[in-house]
Amino acid sequence: MAVNYSAKEEADGHPSGGVGLSGGGAAGGGGGAVKTRKPDNTAFKQQRLPAWQPILTAGTVLPAFFIIGLIFIPIGIGIFVTSNNIREYEIDYTGTEPSSPCNKCLNVSWDSTPPCTCTIDFTLEHSFESNVFMYYGLSNFYQNHRRYVKSRDDSQLNGDNSSLLNPSKECEPYRTNEDKPIAPCGAIANSMFNDTLELYRLDNDTRIPIPLIKKGIAWWTDKNVKFRNPSGDTNNLTALFQGTTKPVNWPKPVYMLDSEPDNNGFINEDFIVWMRTAALPTFRKLYRLIERKNNFQPTLQAGKYSLDITYNYPVHSFDGRKRMILSTISWMGGKNPFLGIAYITVGSICFFLGVVLLIIHHKYGNRNTSADIPN
Amino acid sequence: MLFPQLYVPGQQNLYFNKIVFVNCVLHGIYSSLILFFIPYGAMYNSMRSDGKAIADYQSFALVAQTCLLIVVSAQIGLDTAYWTVVNQFFIWGSLSVYFAITFTMYSDGMYLMLTPSFPFVGTARNTLSQPNVWLAIFLSIILCVLPVVGYRFLKTQLKPTPSDKIKEAKKRPPPPSPKRRLRRTSTRRSGYAFSHQHGFGALIMSGRNMRPKSPFATTGTFSPNTTGISVA
Repeated sequence: MAVNYSAKEEADGHPSGGVGLSGGGAAGGGGGAVKTRKPDNTAFKQQRLPAWQPILTAGTVLPAFFIIGLIFIPIGIGIFVTSNNIREYEIDYTGTEPSSPCNKCLNVSWDSTPPCTCTIDFTLEHSFESNVFMYYGLSNFYQNHRRYVKSRDDSQLNGDNSSLLNPSKECEPYRTNEDKPIAPCGAIANSMFNDTLELYRLDNDTRIPIPLIKKGIAWWTDKNVKFRNPSGDTNNLTALFQGTTKPVNWPKPVYMLDSEPDNNGFINEDFIVWMRTAALPTFRKLYRLIERKNNFQPTLQAGKYSLDITYNYPVHSFDGRKRMILSTISWMGGKNPFLGIAYITVGSICFFLGVVLLIIHHKYGNRNTSADIPN
Repeated sequence: MLFPQLYVPGQQNLYFNKIVFVNCVLHGIYSSLILFFIPYGAMYNSMRSDGKAIADYQSFALVAQTCLLIVVSAQIGLDTAYWTVVNQFFIWGSLSVYFAITFTMYSDGMYLMLTPSFPFVGTARNTLSQPNVWLAIFLSIILCVLPVVGYRFLKTQLKPTPSDKIKEAKKRPPPPSPKRRLRRTSTRRSGYAFSHQHGFGALIMSGRNMRPKSPFATTGTFSPNTTGISVA
């Protein structure tokens, strides 16, 4: 109750007498002996920091809407035009229709010998310039199922020798086969896509094969960091994988995926591309590259082509579909008009809303005077 | 107690009731749909600019979570009415720490040390370098933030709350007071009129703004005694 205003109080607010001392103790230097519990009179502790206090006024919100509308529409148009300039050609070769050349392969099983082959002829209306990418696409294939995604052993795929012979429990039931550990283990590896696609150009009854490049299709970090063969002599992978067996549904073991030593074993690029599980049930994965020859000739001229398929991968049992896609690429990736259309739509809506808000502000906004605030 | 009507909304429970809660839930549902379907549409059947995969499970997750983090930071920024240094540090700091942690977790070093725990190696580098991805992120941010801004602006225009009116009034300069008489001796006598604003109390009590000719200037207090006033 007693409040002391000592003459010795300085301007920066460090009182020599504290609040709470009784009046009797104020005489003389009573304040100096007891430490004050008041917070310091600094800007931080007294919550006096300089601050920016934005409020939403018409002067900020309306220009923001208009500017965003005006930025988004050209961006959207640019993306849409870029996407439209990408050339893409898709062939569904599942073979469910009786008229399709691959109908005879529809009910093939994974280990049928000799393998079923079919050929599909098609025509490219426009020529494809610059690098062309060949993809295989699958539909209704849920690579994002949780139990499927977990069914792998990253240590084994990284070349860890102890995991090679003792794979992780996550790979069950594809962990061992006849008491031998499976390399690579897991359901993802077991269901690897193994169709072979070859492309020929038809030029007056002669079939000219088109060179397909199989390296450089996987991410650099995947090929060089994530996936490693077990340590040892890379020229003799058969010895490195001693004691393991191939996955149940593979025709050949992992050390016979390719003849070249830097594309064999776990670092085979087709295998790496397959192991990067897709997010959506309809997906495409890079299969081969068709490099451009030179700047004067298109990579794939317009004309007749023929696709030879070795149909090993059965998808009919789960109503899946398979297709081959030829596509060029731009700075924004493959042909995807969604972003372009979304930007144009959002930009137009923003602009329209800006106009609406401007009208509302003009009609109703000026009623906000301070006349009804008593001061 | 300068503006007593500011206490009325609290008494009437205007800012935290069932309708406001339902609004929050709807806003959450809308934001979740945007944060999933915009990356979904951007990555559907799409590729990186060098033709390699971008529509894989790890990249999709990274894009969705980056959109989410940035939208949440923007929403917090919208709700922050009083931006001090502390606020700036924590809001921008959160975003930068998110990116720092992401790049660290998805780096080669962490993968080689603890392989089963960091399977997302390389995803941040490969995905966040694509302009496609950043365009999708920018679109989601705008789609999530602009409706909130528009709605709040609309509310201040059509149904301003007392605090909105006061903020508006404070922004406008007060009308100039009519000219007083030139005699101003009474106004300089003490700083009492300014003592209600914070920061001036100490200054007043020091007596620095008292005129030298005032009778108590030597002691610096209001009383001719040398010791302090005690009010019992």
